Amino acid sequence: MTGPDDRLAPLSQAVVTCLTWGFRVGAAFLAGGLAWALYQREPLNTDADPFVEVVPTVLAGEAAGIVDLAILWLMMTPVAAVVVLLVGFLRLGERRYALLSLVVLLILGFSIGLALRR
Amino acid sequence: MDAELFLGYGLVAAVAAVLGSMLGLGGGVFLVPILTLFFGVDQKVAIGASAVAVVTNSIVGSSVHLRSRFTNLRLAMLLQVTTAAGATAGALFGVGADPRIVSAVFGGVLLYAAISMLIRREAKSAPSAPVAGSAALAGELDGESAAPSTLAAAFHDPAIGRDVRYRPRRLPLGLGISAGAGVISGMLGVGGGVVMVPAMNLVMAVPLKAAVGTSAFMVGITSVATAFVFYSQGEINPTVVVPAIIGVFVGGQFGSRLTRRLRVQRLAAVFSVLLFYLGLSLLLQAFGVTLPGQR
Repeated sequence: MTGPDDRLAPLSQAVVTCLTWGFRVGAAFLAGGLAWALYQREPLNTDADPFVEVVPTVLAGEAAGIVDLAILWLMMTPVAAVVVLLVGFLRLGERRYALLSLVVLLILGFSIGLALRR
Repeated sequence: MDAELFLGYGLVAAVAAVLGSMLGLGGGVFLVPILTLFFGVDQKVAIGASAVAVVTNSIVGSSVHLRSRFTNLRLAMLLQVTTAAGATAGALFGVGADPRIVSAVFGGVLLYAAISMLIRREAKSAPSAPVAGSAALAGELDGESAAPSTLAAAFHDPAIGRDVRYRPRRLPLGLGISAGAGVISGMLGVGGGVVMVPAMNLVMAVPLKAAVGTSAFMVGITSVATAFVFYSQGEINPTVVVPAIIGVFVGGQFGSRLTRRLRVQRLAAVFSVLLFYLGLSLLLQAFGVTLPGQR
């Protein structure tokens, strides 16, 4: 289609790339964590670890930590997509939509901040 | 980890994702009621799992809509401001609220969705202000202000074999509804598509497939706000979240592709019956009544 929104086509593609790779990496963590849990016969957590404990548990080789990391990675992927939109709108000179993207990021930052304080 | 439960949760999530993706409602609309009513999962754990699953469903499903050019990114960012703010507020309320209140609200939302689906008609091109050319879509014609004009968009609809051009209307009302959708999304972990799709389609005159595509992208961002609030309260349970994620991956892939090939309106009557049953069940549960086969 040669449509009027072709101006946004590269930005759409960048968002797709961000979401696709975010999902692939998250899925790889998840698959790896589950495979390791099965191999080790290790149960998953019934409550995801706080942020600060995730990396140490991964480094300790705990499958539950890898699964928690996968969940957090997937949760962060849409946040990364908004960052892509912010940069993309700035590059296109669309400051209005770049500003809106920034406000959305700030709101998401608030709830991420709550999670960090856990 | 109980293998049977893991498979059961995964299967439920897959079916929920297919239905949610096809209808643009998000899988949580089906996932939370089924997990709580039929599997006895704690309501807040189910909502937390649903929020993460909706994020995953959106990542997978919205990529398909973005490639098809159904998604209006400018409109998404505009509406996302009030939706994300509402979701954060709703999640903060929901995570500490009495489960009966949450069940009652959830039941009401499902009944609303069932009824609105029955009366929904796709916005016609005339009321959505068809645009003559690309300049108008860039906000350069008609002497209109840039904001509403740049929100205009177009996409190719393979089901009808032609380009569809539209310009969203009633932005202030749309922003208000988005805030409400965000509150509901945050409280129930449903993503907000259950409100946003009908609102964009019926109120803002956005064609159904564009509304579904834009909503599919938005619900992921909205649910991130919800998921982190529930995470902060320790309500993200990997033994429920993981099968839900796997289920929505499989179901989301399948559902998004079906959406491109089917006339979605034809399915509305069938799915509205299911939504009505789940909504009524949750309302009854809020008053202490459990239907046969439920927990």
